[in-house]
Amino acid sequence: MSVSKSVSRRSFLRAAALSSASAVLAACSPAASPTTAPSGEEAPKAEAPAGEKITLRLWSHQNPSFVAANEQLVAKYMEANSNVEIKYENFPYNDFITNIQTSMAAKNEADVMEMFGSWVQSYAKGGTLAAVSDIVLSLEKAKQAYYAAPLDGYTWEGKLYGMPNEYNLENGAVLINKRMFADEGITSPPEWASWDDLVLDAKKLTKVVDGNMTVAGFHYINTDGLGFLFWEGILEKGAEYFASDKIHLDFMTPQAEETVQWFYDMANVDKVVDPMTFNPNSNWVGESFFQGLVGIGFIGPWIVPEGRRNYPDFKDEWDYVSAPYFGSERKFAADAGWGKVVSPNSKSIDESWKFAAFTALEQANARQWNVGTGTVPALKAVAEDPALLNEINWLGPSLKVLGQGRFVGTLQDRDYVWVNVLSTHITECLQGVRSVKETMKLMHDEANAMIDSKIKS
Amino acid sequence: MAVTTPTLKKGSLFRRQHIFAGSTLTPIMVYMMIFTLIPMLWGILITFFRYSPVRAGGFLGLGGGNPFVGLENYADLFSNSPNGLLFRTSLKNTLIFSLIYMPLNLLVTLPLAVFIESVHNRAKAFFRTVYFLPTVTSLVAVSLVWGVIYNPTFGLLNMGMRALGLKGYPWLTDPNTAILGIPLPMICVLITYLWSDMGYNIVIFMAGLQGIPEVYHEAAVVDGANAWQRFRFITLPLLRSTLTFVMVMTMLSSWQVFVLFFVMTNRGGPGNATRVLVLHIYETAFRHQEMGLAATVAMALFLIIMVTTLLQLRFLRKDWEY
Repeated sequence: MSVSKSVSRRSFLRAAALSSASAVLAACSPAASPTTAPSGEEAPKAEAPAGEKITLRLWSHQNPSFVAANEQLVAKYMEANSNVEIKYENFPYNDFITNIQTSMAAKNEADVMEMFGSWVQSYAKGGTLAAVSDIVLSLEKAKQAYYAAPLDGYTWEGKLYGMPNEYNLENGAVLINKRMFADEGITSPPEWASWDDLVLDAKKLTKVVDGNMTVAGFHYINTDGLGFLFWEGILEKGAEYFASDKIHLDFMTPQAEETVQWFYDMANVDKVVDPMTFNPNSNWVGESFFQGLVGIGFIGPWIVPEGRRNYPDFKDEWDYVSAPYFGSERKFAADAGWGKVVSPNSKSIDESWKFAAFTALEQANARQWNVGTGTVPALKAVAEDPALLNEINWLGPSLKVLGQGRFVGTLQDRDYVWVNVLSTHITECLQGVRSVKETMKLMHDEANAMIDSKIKS
Repeated sequence: MAVTTPTLKKGSLFRRQHIFAGSTLTPIMVYMMIFTLIPMLWGILITFFRYSPVRAGGFLGLGGGNPFVGLENYADLFSNSPNGLLFRTSLKNTLIFSLIYMPLNLLVTLPLAVFIESVHNRAKAFFRTVYFLPTVTSLVAVSLVWGVIYNPTFGLLNMGMRALGLKGYPWLTDPNTAILGIPLPMICVLITYLWSDMGYNIVIFMAGLQGIPEVYHEAAVVDGANAWQRFRFITLPLLRSTLTFVMVMTMLSSWQVFVLFFVMTNRGGPGNATRVLVLHIYETAFRHQEMGLAATVAMALFLIIMVTTLLQLRFLRKDWEY
């Protein structure tokens, strides 16, 4: 694509001038203290001389633990780089998205943005993100440093467009309410050999009073969860959700239908969850678990810090335990999580990448960020450090499965597929709006119509 | 000289008036130009492009990754593309909401205003304050509170129903229940919006009622008219200007409700049962990153609102005063 191959004369001259100036200025400046990346490579050096003040702007969404982690790393970076000032701003989630998009139109977005990995490809495709220079981090080295699932979300047409901090993992483990397990005489931690075993326990945990479900034995009906379980079901049953052209989606396979039928049966035959009262719009699993309304909840480990913060009065003992899987081997698709990207309009692109690498590539700092936010590390060296569990003790089951995940792939419009198609129509199916077969056809047609429309445009 | 001097003075006065008018109006004109007119023109312009701010383009971001598509975005609204289907669903939902909301609002606010106007002055101030309070409350807060009231598990409404021996109901999440073809979650949002918005119209109606000379009512009483006849044949006709204003403003606001559908029904759920046009515009622009398509829907909404308003003004026009 032209973005990667064509270099204008102005770009070339600017790059040449920048590198010449950097070389001259670097010779004059005091030696920077080398920072070591996990692979042992030296972190990129700043292009500005000591004494010349560089101001960077960092944007992220507003989440208390994320903000605190970023503030610590910003302070640490400014302490180590006295010529750099980082102005950190954070916005409520929805404002953050609108701010990024509107400011990109005006070309005044922040130098460094903490972006969610599943957004990166569409921005990179549109040419609104800077590619990571090979000097900073080559794709080959990135592949050695990061897990494939998060890294692939930051990659577009063979180029790297950011550095992931987080492996956005939903599969592989579930939350369990240990108090409810004990009340029902169920062994904890459970040793489920299959999903059927989990459903058997969930049936014991389910409570219905006067026709109203007061405890859902197994709550999996949430926007993200339905999508992730759907992909997992298809993959583990031996099929593929991408069509043979690798662009369109194929939801008409028997394996895809079996997976939705399984969702349907759990809700309407086993009745471990009432899809009318426990769904993406009410009693969301991330909240209802910490309100004592759920026995087993399908959600990623990132929810734990949120749950602790939002429900400090929740006294039930809980655990995060390994989930079963279909077939003989666990396979799942994951999203890329939060990470750092850089604006192509930044006046200090090299310094911006240096800061991004400082937070997401340097092991100690990346670890600090993951511990602070309670998220699954994207960096292999952090995840493989056994001492990590001393600080995030619920991550054990998640860390075991990181290598078994793959990036979900280019869905053209991730939210449309996930929200408008999968979550909406599977939930409607469970609520009795249409049959499983009708749902499969509708999802297949809608998802592919969107893909055709995107390809055309 | 005697003739020219006053002319000069007059010219000087006019100049001063022009300078004054220019200096006071220019800032607001510049403000309007920058923050209203230019964005409007930009909004119209991008309807002819497949524009997204996340794609780099040429001058002003247009061209390149954001190509000129002529009237394709407009044609898309009537096609079977995902955007076209969602647009028509949103339009249908907005029409349902708006057409029910306006008469419902009038049916509630006008009698309440008449009632409040008829009570003692102290009580009048109390009722006016009570009914107006929700109007000045943040719609996000209103949505959250009413969302809790409607919650199927621990919501106030279901707790009350259970106390009466009835079964609780998933008010905001049931896609299967409709009353007269109107989805139940839509009815729940209508009730919430009515609660939060009615204070405004009550105050307007009260002002209108206070403007009707008492002499007409007194004459009607002398003629033996009862309360209903006085309301039907005196109050209602003389409130026509106020009614026109209230109907136009209520219709305009009901076409643009966003927060309640965004927060209470989690972006238009269940399914797309409460997806309305303004929410569709937001989702298309920011979630699906298609600003050109979103601007096209906004243009369609603008045309619909303009035509509706002109029709209302035409049919409710009056050519008399009192």
